Amino acid sequence: MGYRAENLLGILKATTPMLLGMIGVIILALPLRLFEGIGPTPIIPLVVVFFWSIYAPDYLPSVSVFFIGILQDLLTGGPLGLWAVVYLVTQFVVMSQRAYFHGREQKVVWLGFALVAGGVSLMVWLVMSLMSGVLLPVRTLLGQMAATVLIYPLFGIAFGQLHHRVLVEG
Amino acid sequence: MEFLGQDRREGLGRRVNSRFVLILLILVSSLLLLSSLYSAQASVFQKAREGVIDATAPVLAIFSGPVGYINDVFGNVGDYFNVLEQNKALREENAELRQWMDEALELRRIVSSYEGLQTYQAPPDAQPIDAHVIGEANDAFARSMIVNAGRGKNVEVGQAVVDDNGLVGRIVDTGSRASRVLLLTDIQSRVPVYIDGANVEGLLIGKTRDKPSISITEGSDDIEITPGQRVLTSGAGGVLPRGLPVGVITGQGRNDDILVDLYTNYARTRIVRIINYEFPTVDADGSDEAAIQDETVEAGAPAEG
Repeated sequence: MGYRAENLLGILKATTPMLLGMIGVIILALPLRLFEGIGPTPIIPLVVVFFWSIYAPDYLPSVSVFFIGILQDLLTGGPLGLWAVVYLVTQFVVMSQRAYFHGREQKVVWLGFALVAGGVSLMVWLVMSLMSGVLLPVRTLLGQMAATVLIYPLFGIAFGQLHHRVLVEG
Repeated sequence: MEFLGQDRREGLGRRVNSRFVLILLILVSSLLLLSSLYSAQASVFQKAREGVIDATAPVLAIFSGPVGYINDVFGNVGDYFNVLEQNKALREENAELRQWMDEALELRRIVSSYEGLQTYQAPPDAQPIDAHVIGEANDAFARSMIVNAGRGKNVEVGQAVVDDNGLVGRIVDTGSRASRVLLLTDIQSRVPVYIDGANVEGLLIGKTRDKPSISITEGSDDIEITPGQRVLTSGAGGVLPRGLPVGVITGQGRNDDILVDLYTNYARTRIVRIINYEFPTVDADGSDEAAIQDETVEAGAPAEG
């Protein structure tokens, strides 16, 4: 009995980052319309992928990242595979720079996230422009990325607490 | 589920196959992306989209209620500050609408007398389906909404979606209890329209900006288009009914685009109506057998000759 409960808790802990990513995707599909539709909705799954790829990639295996991306593609109705590629490439790039980010100040990590968000914007814009055959306006995308970068410290702290207090220690 | 049961002792050391799996998945999703470029409407993808819409509809429905309530409260705060101007504008609009009502009543009387004529055949009635907006793609390029009516309520792909202001978009995916509406601002959106008073037919093309533009398909060379002219659906292509209000022309953008200011306000669209409109077809109910025979004769004639 105790063993099973522990097992269940283990599964819950191991899947928490993936669940958070999926909640982030659901938030992207809610009619939030922040500030009368002017405020863009931050892309929380990107924060989830970035954070766990730096601090504990084992808690967010690439299969989970893949499913988060596919869910986002299916739910927002975009081309299938776009966000899966974006999140997986993000994980690849971030994991290759893990050693640099470890033990750095949060400001530096935030800057790193801003760079990643810039790269992601470029990638999404390029793919969507290629698919639609015209150079698309970038303003909405940059607004959304700016919102994501702005909220990063908040979620970074929250995820940090969650990871260390609950997932690892608890 | 290999990642289960790992504790912090192993936490820092990555597994050997991790990078291999990662690269493999990047390849897989790139392939998916490439294939969706060529076959966006492939039945597998379509099924997956519909399944996900159906699966997430209950979750979205639960959250969209409180979200809408909060939006209403915050929207109202803004309204308190300009209540006087709004009141004045509404009174003026009301006076104007009363005149229109008189005219409409008069026209209704005339039309009903025409309908009494024997040669008149009424066009089929549209059967509206009402639905709530429960989801919205908050994506930079994909513009769509999810509404809580699906195949269970006879919603079909291609049907027009309107709100109390005008055309919102059209249905692109239908699950059993929820559907996706492609908005007019999406880059994939193409809606046949005409400009009232200019005798011009065109396509309304979404550009992910707030204002879609019109590309003219039919009309004379020297077309006079002035800001303020109304844009309505033309019904060309036989998908959307003719005459749904879309917006007004605001002028020309860069590249000589004709920009359209939509009547509908996507930031406030909460309740929509899906128009289940069937185009009149000759062999719709078989009652008009002479017409069907005429057509088969006509269709057969060139083959014989």
